[in-house]
Amino acid sequence: MAVQTQTSKEGSEGLDLRDLIETIPALVLCVLPDGLVEFTNCAWQEYTGCSVQQANGTGWQTAIHPSDVAAFIDEWNATLASGIHFAAEARLRRADGEYRWFLIRKALAIAPARTGSALRTLIACEDINDRKQAQAQLQQTEDSHRLVVETASDAIVSMDDNGAIVFANPAAQRVFGYEPSELIGKPLTVLMPEFMRKRHEAGFTRYLTTAQRHINWQGTEFTALRKNGEEFPAELSFGELTRDGHKVFTGFIRDIGARKQAEDRWKEAQRALQMTQAELAHVTRVVTMNELTASIAHEVNQPLAAIIASGDSCTAWLASVPPNLDKARAAANRVIQAAKQASEIVRRVRAVFKKTPSDAASVDINELIQETISFVDYEAKRKNISLRANLGVGLPTIGGDRVQLQQVLLNLMMNGIECMADCDREPKRILIHSSLPNSGELLVSVADTGPGIDAENANRLFAPFFTTKPQGIGMGLPICRSIIEAHSGRIWAENNGSGGAAFHFMLPIKAPSE
Amino acid sequence: MSDPECIVFIVDDDSLVRDSVADLLVSAGVAAQTFGSATDFIRAERPDVSACLILDVELPDLSGLDLQTDLTKSGIEIPIIFLTGHGDIPKSVRAMKAGAVEFLTKPFRKEELIDAVRQALARDGEIRKQRSENLKLRDRLGTLTPRERQVLALVVTGLLNKQIAGELGTTELTIKVHRGRVMRKMKAASLADLVRMAGKLNLSPPPSYTKVE
Repeated sequence: MAVQTQTSKEGSEGLDLRDLIETIPALVLCVLPDGLVEFTNCAWQEYTGCSVQQANGTGWQTAIHPSDVAAFIDEWNATLASGIHFAAEARLRRADGEYRWFLIRKALAIAPARTGSALRTLIACEDINDRKQAQAQLQQTEDSHRLVVETASDAIVSMDDNGAIVFANPAAQRVFGYEPSELIGKPLTVLMPEFMRKRHEAGFTRYLTTAQRHINWQGTEFTALRKNGEEFPAELSFGELTRDGHKVFTGFIRDIGARKQAEDRWKEAQRALQMTQAELAHVTRVVTMNELTASIAHEVNQPLAAIIASGDSCTAWLASVPPNLDKARAAANRVIQAAKQASEIVRRVRAVFKKTPSDAASVDINELIQETISFVDYEAKRKNISLRANLGVGLPTIGGDRVQLQQVLLNLMMNGIECMADCDREPKRILIHSSLPNSGELLVSVADTGPGIDAENANRLFAPFFTTKPQGIGMGLPICRSIIEAHSGRIWAENNGSGGAAFHFMLPIKAPSE
Repeated sequence: MSDPECIVFIVDDDSLVRDSVADLLVSAGVAAQTFGSATDFIRAERPDVSACLILDVELPDLSGLDLQTDLTKSGIEIPIIFLTGHGDIPKSVRAMKAGAVEFLTKPFRKEELIDAVRQALARDGEIRKQRSENLKLRDRLGTLTPRERQVLALVVTGLLNKQIAGELGTTELTIKVHRGRVMRKMKAASLADLVRMAGKLNLSPPPSYTKVE
């Protein structure tokens, strides 16, 4: 180990010192007054890879990092004359070229008097690289934390377990109007209105004694108080830290007044939009139903005919001799049945004309399709168009607005009927299809055998005021789309393989409350 | 109207309507039979009695008007009363032109329906009477010999026996005998009667005799 420790022979007195120096966990040089390095310890040679000769004079200083060397030498020279203790930090080059931080200290060693030697200078270099790195890291973390706290837009306020404020960040001034320094030492309750103070104190005491949390620490809305006496809605989240046996609570307080206002305005705008959409949907519904008056009249006249005819026959059976009561009863039953049918039709028609913004319920799509077919069936027959339904079995119900969804179906069917009315192609047919393509969605398609969709119109179909009909207002499909999208679904159109257009919509299956 | 020898067929896809109409007729003493579609009606075996058809214009498979056309094409003469849920002028015009007895809009009054049915059955009775009379005449015509047919054709054009004899190259006496047999076989009471029968049978004289003074 001690291969190169000795370069100049000294007396046995020197050996003691050297042995001693070898045990020091540092790189050590012993320098004579003339600057010659008398010896170095093994650690030095192993670390730097330099020989004693190379260390002679100021040779050992070449191991110092170029960036550190100038400052080091200045300091070194300054203390050289004064002879006082010297300590400086500098990076030293290791044999492999890597630099590590060292604390370099100088001490004057007094030689035994009989050697007559002058004072020697001992230079000890202690490796502080790891410590320094840890420190730097700590500093960095601290700096970034401070940056966060100081630049945060939320107020950050800490209090001790007495409820006194021990820290407030700059944003606290913006939020509460107090200078951070003003707040230190004040009770936290100055930041809340009177009615909250008792509650806070009771809750705080309870927490300190039971350690049970009664409010959500990750975001609670409460009313806060500004210096100028203004109350405002705030969102609070906080955490606790135990330091020297004392608890410190730090809270992040956000002024959500602006956000709440924006939310309210947004909700208001949404309501207005919904109202407008409902109005528009209602108008188009009425327009569509207007086109269906013949159909509706037919629907209603059907049971009325049954009622009158059965009423007449009932009277006749009663008047016959002897009265035929069984026949009369059967006729009366038919009257009741037909009257129920008529009132059901009236109810359905009224529902369509009803002006409701939104009414979420559980909707059986197949039932709705059948009902809608009953509205347009007559209209279709009048135009020699057959209307067929191919409905999936056992489909789940969906949550939605029955009237609105019916409007979509009505629009799509009426579009199909109208586009085929003036078309010479045969057969004229509308096929309504419902299915469950996957467990989460319901698919409904309305396909016709009409002229299909022109490529140039394909992109504009759902755009407002676009229409191919002479009397159309171009709101049917945009309303269909807004209704389907309001139900979190999607609607699209395409041409059938066999000619004609097909409109499809997908609706998610979910509870009506969602 | 209590004649069991007549029946009213009702074709309407609405069961309540067709049952009510049928019951109304039965209560008035008219037999009725109901069908849910035009196809059912066409396929059904119908009794050979005086009949009429009450037909809904708006049927699911074959519309009432189409059924009317089909029936006419296949030579089935049956008076039709149309019912519709919504008066549609072009349609009623078309139906009436095609020979419908009546076009009633639902809901209709009992009297309207009964009147229309009575009218329709009367028309069918007339048609059937004509048809059976025609059949009888055809049977009688069938008993004539070719020579007697020739004589019949010429007699009804108004030619005298002598002229007929000239046309057929025989004697007046022979024609007289033939003529007597024709009158007897056709059961004609007079020449006028025979002329009427010939008209019904749509007999036309041979082309060379069309121009008669």
